[in-house]
Amino acid sequence: MIKLIEKIEGEATLDFNFKDEKIEFVDIKFNSTRGIENILKGKNALDALVINPRVCGICGHAHLIATVKALESCYDDLKISKKAEIIRELTLNFELIHNHFKWFYLTLFPLFGFKQEVLKASYASQIMGKAIATFGGQYPHTSYAIVGGVVCEVTSMDIVKINSYIDETIKFFERNVIDVDVEKFILCDNVEMALKSKGDLAKILQIIYEKEWVELGKSYDRFIVFGKNSYFKSGKSHKTRISKNLPYEYVKEEQNKSSFAKNVSFKDKYYEVGPLSRAMLKRIPLIKDAHRRYGDSILSRILARVCEIAQLLNHSKSLLKELDLSEASYIEPQIDISKVSASGVGAVEAARGSLIHKVSLEEGIIKNYEIITPTQWNLAGGSRENQGISQKAMVGLKDEKIAELVFKTFDVCSVCTTH
Amino acid sequence: MKKLKVLWLSALSCNGNTHAFFNYPNLEYFLENFEFIYHPVIDSEYSLEDIVSKEIQCDILLVEGSVSKEFTRADVPILKIIKKYAKKVRKIVSVGTCASYGGIFKNGAYKDVTGLFFDEEKEIDILQEFRYKAINISGCPVHPDILVNTLFAIKQELKLKLDNLLRPKEYYAYSIHNGCTRNEYFEYKVDNHKFGELEGCMFYEHGCQAPFTHGSCNKILWNEVNSKTRAGLPCMGCTEPSFPRENLFSTKKNMGIPQELPLGVNKRTYLTLAGITKAFTIERLQKKLIDD
Ligand code: SF4
Ligand code: SF4
Repeated sequence: MIKLIEKIEGEATLDFNFKDEKIEFVDIKFNSTRGIENILKGKNALDALVINPRVCGICGHAHLIATVKALESCYDDLKISKKAEIIRELTLNFELIHNHFKWFYLTLFPLFGFKQEVLKASYASQIMGKAIATFGGQYPHTSYAIVGGVVCEVTSMDIVKINSYIDETIKFFERNVIDVDVEKFILCDNVEMALKSKGDLAKILQIIYEKEWVELGKSYDRFIVFGKNSYFKSGKSHKTRISKNLPYEYVKEEQNKSSFAKNVSFKDKYYEVGPLSRAMLKRIPLIKDAHRRYGDSILSRILARVCEIAQLLNHSKSLLKELDLSEASYIEPQIDISKVSASGVGAVEAARGSLIHKVSLEEGIIKNYEIITPTQWNLAGGSRENQGISQKAMVGLKDEKIAELVFKTFDVCSVCTTH
Repeated sequence: MKKLKVLWLSALSCNGNTHAFFNYPNLEYFLENFEFIYHPVIDSEYSLEDIVSKEIQCDILLVEGSVSKEFTRADVPILKIIKKYAKKVRKIVSVGTCASYGGIFKNGAYKDVTGLFFDEEKEIDILQEFRYKAINISGCPVHPDILVNTLFAIKQELKLKLDNLLRPKEYYAYSIHNGCTRNEYFEYKVDNHKFGELEGCMFYEHGCQAPFTHGSCNKILWNEVNSKTRAGLPCMGCTEPSFPRENLFSTKKNMGIPQELPLGVNKRTYLTLAGITKAFTIERLQKKLIDD
């Protein structure tokens, strides 16, 4: 049974194999690729800052930040001001929040029988776009983060403005999604409390309980997070065992026979990336409670993504307070990039999970470029013996519609995957 | 109110135009006037499989992304889908620089990647018979105002004046330079721009292509608040068939003079002008805009 899954920033096909009326294997295929890595070869290093946001229209900013980090790691001692670092982190947060709103109202809502809420999705994501543009000039597809910092200079009026964008988004989130104060929601440590409200999140959770889907979509219970900043913690966890050491050498990309998307594994194991993984490593009380009861099910996954909106809004407010406007936005690198021959890696947390960029330069020219996207982790098309994260999560289900729901709780992004 | 039916197809693209469109502030009003028979993200009455297997009535065809003979959607060659609907619709709008001129995915994974009616600035004939219905709204991505207002213009049957690259002149007769907050620095050749500052023009050292790029970024602003050049990032020339050029953060020069000059300016005149303006020393432009 082959099913075309659309509106996941492109398409994928799922080929369901049934045995005794239950799904025993799902072959996941992405049917095209655009070849960005090839386009980059032979180009001037800094041009990657312009090309790479175009990997993806919905999370291009994460690609920009991963690019700039990969390039900067080619230097031995490059200085970045605290100010530039905070600004980059803020714009990345805003993009994550923007993505989560779109996923919630455009993708998730219809899967639970509600009408797609286009206007709610665009209202909230637009404000976050404005906040990014205030620093970056535009959204999508800015290249405002450059080797050495950011191109913008911010004034105190910009800070006032951005603060009000965050507040406006918080208000929207409280009124529509969670129906309680953000601060209260962040402190909440049990799922039942989240269930009780009148918000859009509770509507979905209630259906999950009514239909007894609380354990739906479990996978290996293995999580990994590569991007680290003032909020996210990197590391991996299996059940509740956490380890911090994640050498990139163990990250392996593999050609997939039936799909254009390459598989990624760490020490030959598939790991889940994304908000649930981040919440597990951060030990977010509400998500820990969900996980303790229902494991890595769709319930925990959905809750983690929505909960992350609250956390990031809150954290962004405090980050904004830490900005010291007297610092430089940009510190010119001591060595011009055209003299740099080295290799580097940059990892960030994008909305859907860890995003890794690897670059090698020869006198400032890109010799090789590799992009590993979050969807490649979650949607790896493994073999029957060693299934990928989302494949495993769909095994045993009786109905393809429900399998599609499970699949989409990973917030699939086809364009990223088929870069 | 009768809604116009719109088919939004994405070819080889990053979906950037789809998401730029979501930034249109009055989406509600837009959706009262237009209905998507298919859209890459917004729910529609028909599925992609319906679109490729049936012939659904539709008034405007929007294509995002570049095309190639090899590229398919739902197993059907994209050019075949485009031709089928091109016959029926009133207008074909190439959304973004990829669909207009080929854009960034040339030299990628597919062969013969082009726009619908152009390969960079060269006219091509794969869809020749439909050329009279074509409008290119370039940009990487396209600005949502340009997209939405073009659709309203079609709805109201306005006769749009197009330039020789089929772009509506109302938006593309301007240069991006028009409206940049750094214009005074440009005029007086104050090229002391450093990244991370409010001051200085980026034309002389940092590759700003705005003076020779057609578009309205600094007039209609992005996300209603800003533009690349206002923020301090050079214009990358993303509305032009030449996008993306190479070495984007530096200005190519011949004997100290930028190789590309502002639209319509010849080198001799430029040199004379530069000589005069350089004679000014304007203190205000030499120091910080905001200081203690
Ligand atoms: S920075 Fe670019 S757009 Fe701004 S004034 Fe200079 S040339 Fe014009
Ligand atoms: S400023 Fe230039 S590069 Fe930026 S969006 Fe406008 S035309 Fe494109």
